[in-house]
Amino acid sequence: MSGDMDDILLVFFQECEEQLQELERGLAALSDGESGKETINAVFRAVHSIKGGAASFGLENLVRFAHVFESSLDGLRSGRVAPTPEIVKIFLKAMDVLSDLVAEAQGGAAVDQDRIADSRTELETIMANATGSAPAEKQDEVIPADFTPVPLDFAPVMADFDFGDLGVEEEVPASTALVVTFSPHTAMYDRGDDARNLLIGLADVAVAHGGTSTVTCETAAVPTLADLETEKSCLSWRVVLPAAVPEESVHTVFDWVSDVCDVTITREGAAILKAEDKNAEDAAASLAPASTTDAQAPASAIIAPEPAQAPSPTSAAVMERIMAELPPAPAASAPVDAGKAQPVRQPAEQATIRVDLHRVDDLMDLVGELVIAQAALEAIGQANNGGHQEMNKCIASMKTLTRDIQDAVMAVRAQPVRSVFQRMQRVVREACSMTHKDVVLTLEGENTEVDRTLVEKLSDPLTHMLRNAVDHGIESAEDRIAAGKPGTGQILLSAGHRSGRILITIQDDGAGINRERVLAIGVKRGIVAPDAVLTDDEIHNLIFAPGFSTAATVSDLSGRGVGMDVVKQAILGLGGRVTISSVEGQGTTFCLSLPLTLAVLDGMLIDAAGSTMVVPISSVVETMMVGHKDIYALPDGANVVSIRGECMPLIPLASVLGLVRKRATGQSEEDVILVVENESGARAALIVDTIRDQAQVVIKSIEKNYRQMPGVSAATILGDGSVSLILDIPALVANALGRIDTRPSDVRTEIAA
Amino acid sequence: MTDDAAADAKLVKMIVFAVGEQEYCIPILSVREIRGFEKTTALPFAPPYVCGAINLRGVILTVIDFAVYLNVTPQPDNPRRVAIIVESRNGTVCGLLVDRVIDMADIDLGEIQAVAEENSSLNGLVMLGDRMIGVLRLEVVVGQLVKAGTS
Repeated sequence: MSGDMDDILLVFFQECEEQLQELERGLAALSDGESGKETINAVFRAVHSIKGGAASFGLENLVRFAHVFESSLDGLRSGRVAPTPEIVKIFLKAMDVLSDLVAEAQGGAAVDQDRIADSRTELETIMANATGSAPAEKQDEVIPADFTPVPLDFAPVMADFDFGDLGVEEEVPASTALVVTFSPHTAMYDRGDDARNLLIGLADVAVAHGGTSTVTCETAAVPTLADLETEKSCLSWRVVLPAAVPEESVHTVFDWVSDVCDVTITREGAAILKAEDKNAEDAAASLAPASTTDAQAPASAIIAPEPAQAPSPTSAAVMERIMAELPPAPAASAPVDAGKAQPVRQPAEQATIRVDLHRVDDLMDLVGELVIAQAALEAIGQANNGGHQEMNKCIASMKTLTRDIQDAVMAVRAQPVRSVFQRMQRVVREACSMTHKDVVLTLEGENTEVDRTLVEKLSDPLTHMLRNAVDHGIESAEDRIAAGKPGTGQILLSAGHRSGRILITIQDDGAGINRERVLAIGVKRGIVAPDAVLTDDEIHNLIFAPGFSTAATVSDLSGRGVGMDVVKQAILGLGGRVTISSVEGQGTTFCLSLPLTLAVLDGMLIDAAGSTMVVPISSVVETMMVGHKDIYALPDGANVVSIRGECMPLIPLASVLGLVRKRATGQSEEDVILVVENESGARAALIVDTIRDQAQVVIKSIEKNYRQMPGVSAATILGDGSVSLILDIPALVANALGRIDTRPSDVRTEIAA
Repeated sequence: MTDDAAADAKLVKMIVFAVGEQEYCIPILSVREIRGFEKTTALPFAPPYVCGAINLRGVILTVIDFAVYLNVTPQPDNPRRVAIIVESRNGTVCGLLVDRVIDMADIDLGEIQAVAEENSSLNGLVMLGDRMIGVLRLEVVVGQLVKAGTS
């Protein structure tokens, strides 16, 4: 049982996550000045759903805060509050608190009560201002448009049920008791709500208005035990509330169940029907022509508009039965009667399904094996050259199919980086408030899609880098103004595809890296020798060294025990690279280049030292044979080759990888040269024995069962079942460039800038 | 050693194999399967005792030439050379290339005579009939494979 509960809770938290993203997106749109109804509704709905879910799990803190949040958003929704930047800022802050509360409920760190209280007060101020300035309006707002004093003529009003369309005054004699009848649908229980909560809510309302509620449970709809379906909702309730209770407060109670529960609210003696009853009629009407045996069905339509004493329970009971028999009809009409910002949710739900990640992973693995098997077939086909034209054709078409399947599966796993990027807004906000700086984070290319494993793993490194950018990159407002820059700092976080990789840049317009200081600290911490002569690029890279920190004092932000070295390790772990370029006084740019996926790559199969290896095709620029006259030896024993006037280091692959002891110098005539380039454009020439083939290979981790090898990023399995190593070209290039000090830094800064 | 878990049982089933002249044993529960020796892919910068990598149904793992590891002369043209695929307790899988697998035996852990210090790959020696058998500490062997040289 507790296991079930945990599962449900897990789903709730997943949904919270989604709702928070939705909220963030909405608020971001608001702060960009887009205050369309859709956006506001989306924001409202997100908070509302979190509140609803939290209530059913008894997450008190969350509910209380979400409620205040929701109420103030309601002001926005009804147009009483304008989404000014200040207000949006308050909402953003509230959202942070809300997401922390969700995390707290999930077992995370407890949220600072002061923060909650602060945010609460701010939200309440919004509400107070709103109601203070337009109290009369509010009264009208909350009364739905269908609240008409002409009870029998309800149908046309229903058809045009619009919350914003107001102006009906209340003429109901205030002295009569308020009768609320409601019958929950089965769906309400499915969602984890409980009628008990509603009853308690109603009782609270009654008490709040100085009276008590009388609750009667209608059991007429309950079938005999033998016919009882255990999971079907049969009961309905009739609650008599004191006359002083306004209907709007009853609405509030049913706010987040209105789509899965039939509610009628009537004044004793003067029946006023709620939209929900339209449902009954709809259902009944559609049921009636279908010659149902349920004689009461048509009756309910007639009874419904009549004065209130008896009808509601009956109609509710009937409706319950109709609902059960006609599941699609009420389901479709439910959002209409809810009447509160429901319509937008529909398309999104239809467009996506939730799939367990394991299944997609399994599928991915299988497709990987399929690619290998396909490669094996192809190898056989080529071995029997010419003999099997037909078979080769089949294999060729199978290859296309395999590739398409693979792409499709990859697409299933692909996710826009938006989810991570949006979280960064918050990181920057928090960092700003801690450092008392004013920084605007601009996002670009959030729709760039990446494999979801990557998306998840990007979060931590990006968080650190953005914190660093705010803490160390952007100067204080005074310094900025003194330097002739606007007081507000700018950070640009952008993502984009670039030659089969994803390129993420974090660009700030801060002071840039102070190279002297970095070098001095590097020397002080013993990371570099005091007499070392370093290029700018090497100095920049010092900030990635473990134990490096330029911060004179350990601040809240940088004192968390994680530094840029962790960032670099994380990026390297994903098969990515980090490059820095910095212009003093103008800012720093970090470029992260990452593979699109961690699963497959296009590779060139080459032979070196008797074994076949894979060079990622994205890093191969050209292949050629080179004569001896183009090769120049350097004093330290390494060689450079001049290709069309461009010199680049020569990497004898076999000996660099330590696979051959002999023949370290001198190349044979048959050797092939692969010109390879790393993501920042630095080139080197790789000497290999032969080029075998080009194929798509499935990346298999070798590090799970073996240590990391320099120059090798992963391994793969070839068509014949043998293992082949995938070369880590950027590492090889960097290694070669490090030994032969050419001009990598110039090249890199040019490219990065 | 994998013997901790079974400490109460005292008797542990071990698989006995020979490398050169000497016989060794490891707990049979850590053995995944035994395969014929196949061609391996050489790995750069590997210690001399690492033969290379093989593909075990989609999982890439390394094979240790146990003769080189233990510094005994391998039997070069031995058709009975096999790779014992073992999985250590932390989930690392690797192959041990041995000269031949002999049999299984119930080893009483209490009878193991310690011969080396804590971190040696040899846990101790045990008498099985009149044969002296070395009990290996698999975690040490496999651990070296993963950890050493990690930059």
